[in-house]
Amino acid sequence: MSTRTVEFEVARNPEMGPGGTLVASPTEPFDAPEPELGADTMLVNVGPQHPATHGVLRLVVELDGETVVRVDPRLGYLHSSFEKLGEYRTWNQVVPLTDRMDYLAPLIYNCAYVMAVEKLMGIEVTDRCRVARVVCMEMDRIFSHLLWLGTWSIDVGAFTPFLYAFQQREKVYKLHEALTGARITTSATRIGGMMADLPEGWTDGVREFANNLPATLDEIDGLLKHNAIHIGRTQGIGAISADEAVNCGLTGANLRASGVPYDVRKDRPYYDYESYDFEVPIGCHGDCYDRYLVRMEEMRQSTRILHQALDRLPAGPMDVEDPRISLPSKTDCMSDMESMIHHFKLITEGIPAPAEDCWFSVEGSKGELGMYVVGDGGPKPVRWRIRPPSFVNLSAIPRLSEGHLMADLIMINASLDIVLGEIDR
Amino acid sequence: MTRSKAPPGSFFDLAAGGAGAVDAPAAASETAAVPPCNPSVDALREQFPDGVLRNEVCAGDQDVVYVDSARLVEMLGWLHESPGQQYDHLADVTAVDHGGGRPIEVVYQLWSIPHRAALRVKCELPLDSLEIDTVTGIWVGANWLEREVYDLFGVHFTGHPDLRRILMPDNYAEGHPLRKDFPLRGRFSRAEQTRRALTQDPEDYYMPGEIGGRVPQLVAEDAGGDAEEADDVD
Amino acid sequence: MGVDTPGMLGSGSPAFLTTRLDFVVNWARRNSLWPMPFGTACCAIEMMASAASNFDLARFGMERMSFSPRQADVLICAGRVPYKLAPVLRRIWDQMMQPKWCISMGACASSGGVFDVYSMVQGIDTIVPVDVYIPGCPPRPEGLIYGLMMVQEKIRGESLANHADLRAEDPLAAGRPRADDREVTDLTGPFGNSTHQNRVSGLVATDAVGRSEDRLP
Repeated sequence: MSTRTVEFEVARNPEMGPGGTLVASPTEPFDAPEPELGADTMLVNVGPQHPATHGVLRLVVELDGETVVRVDPRLGYLHSSFEKLGEYRTWNQVVPLTDRMDYLAPLIYNCAYVMAVEKLMGIEVTDRCRVARVVCMEMDRIFSHLLWLGTWSIDVGAFTPFLYAFQQREKVYKLHEALTGARITTSATRIGGMMADLPEGWTDGVREFANNLPATLDEIDGLLKHNAIHIGRTQGIGAISADEAVNCGLTGANLRASGVPYDVRKDRPYYDYESYDFEVPIGCHGDCYDRYLVRMEEMRQSTRILHQALDRLPAGPMDVEDPRISLPSKTDCMSDMESMIHHFKLITEGIPAPAEDCWFSVEGSKGELGMYVVGDGGPKPVRWRIRPPSFVNLSAIPRLSEGHLMADLIMINASLDIVLGEIDR
Repeated sequence: MTRSKAPPGSFFDLAAGGAGAVDAPAAASETAAVPPCNPSVDALREQFPDGVLRNEVCAGDQDVVYVDSARLVEMLGWLHESPGQQYDHLADVTAVDHGGGRPIEVVYQLWSIPHRAALRVKCELPLDSLEIDTVTGIWVGANWLEREVYDLFGVHFTGHPDLRRILMPDNYAEGHPLRKDFPLRGRFSRAEQTRRALTQDPEDYYMPGEIGGRVPQLVAEDAGGDAEEADDVD
Repeated sequence: MGVDTPGMLGSGSPAFLTTRLDFVVNWARRNSLWPMPFGTACCAIEMMASAASNFDLARFGMERMSFSPRQADVLICAGRVPYKLAPVLRRIWDQMMQPKWCISMGACASSGGVFDVYSMVQGIDTIVPVDVYIPGCPPRPEGLIYGLMMVQEKIRGESLANHADLRAEDPLAAGRPRADDREVTDLTGPFGNSTHQNRVSGLVATDAVGRSEDRLP
């Protein structure tokens, strides 16, 4: 495998040991023996409606003075029962549910779901579709990271990067809209292909976006990377060692910030990711600051993948040429009896799947996004399960925030890059 | 273009019965005994000859091992620790209810970061004894995943440090939603659900005695829900 | 509230005075609406997009997102509201000071949307009174801005003379659903596609809640 570590030339706090050892945060209260003020701890309720919990997460925090003793996250304030609803729909009808689950990176979810179903059914999609989906997924990885960057900077007390990030996000919104007609809820994929071919000139728009993005990232980096407040609030905060991170089930940038080079795109390549030239950034301290650096670098690497994918985008059909899977064209439907019948059967009956199960995971923007689909020979899933990366990432927050200050808890929460729609499902 | 078509002998040909029917016997024998793709399956069978009930290959190249629920923790512990296996990443814990009174499957998705190998371990639990040992002692990350399975399926994980409902409200009385016998809109009428929702106190379970622990009346409510559900199963 | 309850200025106040005062008060209220963003899901992202520079909600005097309900004028409920969140929504509405308005942004907040399931409130109008519904899944930022302008339009028509009627609030209603059982049943009965999906699924027989009468427009 190619080199995977990206060096960060940033001076670190000298107190900090390598390997993500937990060190004193710069603002830790003095160690001098305090007068006995009683052993009572205080309970503070954060959320479920709180701007810093990034949704409707509720954290019940036990505080000793300003220091966090225990965190008890309460979930379920956005439980929309996607998995139950999916059991009542045909395989293709589930696609619109997937993008409402992670509304920060809808196309990754669309793609991951249909990839799992295609693997279950044994369908190989066309070359053009494979590359188009890579473009979609990498674009949405940036899309999601940009929102994380905006909210992260608001949490750290900077508003300007939010505006910069949203300017770039608006460009992706426009690309989404050109591709699918919707800004967020894209529902772009279908089993065996995409809902439509890429519109004319769309790839130029993506290329322009990929060209312009690094300048914005540099600009935001200039505001944050060496900023004393940013460094003071993130270096050494929420550190976790590599072994512990793996054991907690962390994935994605949160795991890689601890120095574990686990990236599904490299370790279990799908859609020819092994043939793209990109690096997986890893950190070495496992703290909030490293997570910031890793995500920033991931966006730059994603632009590299975007360029390569656009270069190799082949011509040809987008959908599988199998009338049992893909809808026939409108013209065929109107002029050809057989196509009409296939269209009718596909719409009314759906596509059957074998009575097997299939697990497929992709590298989502938040971590390893797994889709587990179980069929029973019929056109509807028996079980449709999402392995929610931010759910598992969030489960480490009691461990990460223990012993830190209340204000650090906000940064730790922001650094995990959670999305509640996916956590609660 | 071969790539754009479903491969011969795939499910579609079987279902259609037409041109692909000649491949049907070959594909049918696939379910009988296919050599597993992952050497861990054989190693596991060698190590625990009576613990592995059967194995199969799903979706082309995915290995599934059905194990005895009594020896699950021991076997997963071996898969986690043993130098040749090192399944250090527990990707997922979930359950599948096939309906019709069939046992509920608890599914563990394992991944070995050093060896880059995937393994799916399943345990079948009959509906009348939904109990299984927790794996939180091996992977800390299993904590919330198991809580979710408990919440949505009603599978009890023995020895779990903090087995509470996680997604549904603590006093949810309608049962376990992802069971097949649970109606999509819940058991109560919308009016009842709305009324019950607003009687919840948003600051509940917030006092020192309640945080992180089980609240007595909460258990009672929960048990009531289970009893009602048992009636519905019959 | 009774009909004979006098307005803020008393029943005998000269009409021209109230009209001019109405205009001033409404002008002030209209152009400094502070939203309380109750964002839960996808719509919250569009709400953030409308606050960002491309759509710039600040043009309408609404840039000050008030995360404290007591300093807010208009509750924007953006996104899905499960039953677990319903008491929180009601609590926040009760905490807001009069005069206050409520916007239900998106299909899920307005009617439950595609989520006709066990965990979701089927329209927040069963929980709190809603002034403006914004359709869309999610609505575009223009939609949200248009909705806020409709609230402004609504304020323009208000008068201090009927202040008591418009702002009537029953202290006993705090923490209770806005709609009674019958109205909830009417509002949440399955219709259209959601019923269809149930019949086709064949997995379980779900007892559809029968509507006592058709939905009123």
